Amino acid sequence: MSETDPVLLRHRALEQIAMVALQAARVLMESGARGQVIHQCAEMVAKGLGAERVAFRSGYASLAITVTGGANSITRMVDVGRHAVNHQLDQGIRKLAVRVAQGGMTPAETRQEIERLAQGTRRHPTWLVAVAVGLACAGFGRLLGVDWPGFAAIVVASTAGQYLRHLLLVRKVNPFVVAAVVAFLSAAMGGLGARLVGSGTVSLALMASVLLLVPGVPALNAQIDIMEGSPTLGSARAVTVIFIMVFVTVGVWLAQSLVRLAP
Amino acid sequence: MTVDMAHLAHQALFGAVAAAGFGVLFNFELRALPWCAAAGAVALFVRTLGLDAHMSLEAASFVAATVVGLAVRLLLPRQRQASSAMALAGCIPMVPGSFFAQAILGLLALTTAVEANAAAMIATTLEYTLRVLFTVGAIGTGLTIPTHLLGNREF
Repeated sequence: MSETDPVLLRHRALEQIAMVALQAARVLMESGARGQVIHQCAEMVAKGLGAERVAFRSGYASLAITVTGGANSITRMVDVGRHAVNHQLDQGIRKLAVRVAQGGMTPAETRQEIERLAQGTRRHPTWLVAVAVGLACAGFGRLLGVDWPGFAAIVVASTAGQYLRHLLLVRKVNPFVVAAVVAFLSAAMGGLGARLVGSGTVSLALMASVLLLVPGVPALNAQIDIMEGSPTLGSARAVTVIFIMVFVTVGVWLAQSLVRLAP
Repeated sequence: MTVDMAHLAHQALFGAVAAAGFGVLFNFELRALPWCAAAGAVALFVRTLGLDAHMSLEAASFVAATVVGLAVRLLLPRQRQASSAMALAGCIPMVPGSFFAQAILGLLALTTAVEANAAAMIATTLEYTLRVLFTVGAIGTGLTIPTHLLGNREF
């Protein structure tokens, strides 16, 4: 087979299209998008780059695509990294998918743009995220009936918990282990802190301090994915949510024991 | 139905605080955070009204999620691709995380329960578990219905 074999050249072109479409889909998946959005994105990118037909499969840990052009087709798969939520990156990839679908971009340009978005989309400063999460959990606490001394304890406990979570995830510690460790720290700080400042709602403050760990977006995405025709992905998300909560509960349980034992 | 306005305002305010805080965690742009806060306030306002009208938590959460889903789509027509995410952020304060943890704590407690308490503990744990399932289901359903009825444009 020579270097100018048209079938070989067409396969190479299709491979580039498949890999770029998968790259866009992977970034969307890692940013917390729903299954249907990921499917649409991959299809828009692949067709915008010249594929005639696209078949796509999304799993929790991997994505696969088959792109067809004329009589040729090619199937490729990529793995997916840690699932998180990043709205700005999600929106950046969606806008790029629209531009690619309008035509005129090459696979290389699209790949460069995806890499630029993935590396260049800024996150809020760590301290700001930690304080915001602390206030959010304290807000949750007020919704559950926590008093004002308990509110202050939750702010401190959840801020510290979010900061620790960030440090551990940056070091690529297993997310389930992170959930248990952060749950223990936040719940213990929330419970002991609330008792220290004379709160009458120590148990509620302890529980509200770990609400930063409740995987709300994956829980809702799980249901919506199943409703929108991706039961495999939705089920995997649901199982992950349940296991995260099991690890959170282990941390809470240990913290409750500590708070009971503390003088 | 009696409405305690102070309680309603309190719930809406802290729904806004919780939604905006999680908006920062989810990396929404700073200019989008007021919309996340507004979505959270509307969600908790409607849910509290529903609870005051003696609706169940699940029904009130469903109505609140539907209202938030409709509101963001109608009020932010130029940002339709972002409106689903904003509605989701607004509904996060309604996710019954503490029930979830209590359900699992109840399951743990069952392993050490004395026989006399076991039946009551099973009932409580089952109640928490079902409330989590149905409330999350109600929120997801409420968010999805406007998306599909008003056109499913995500891009």
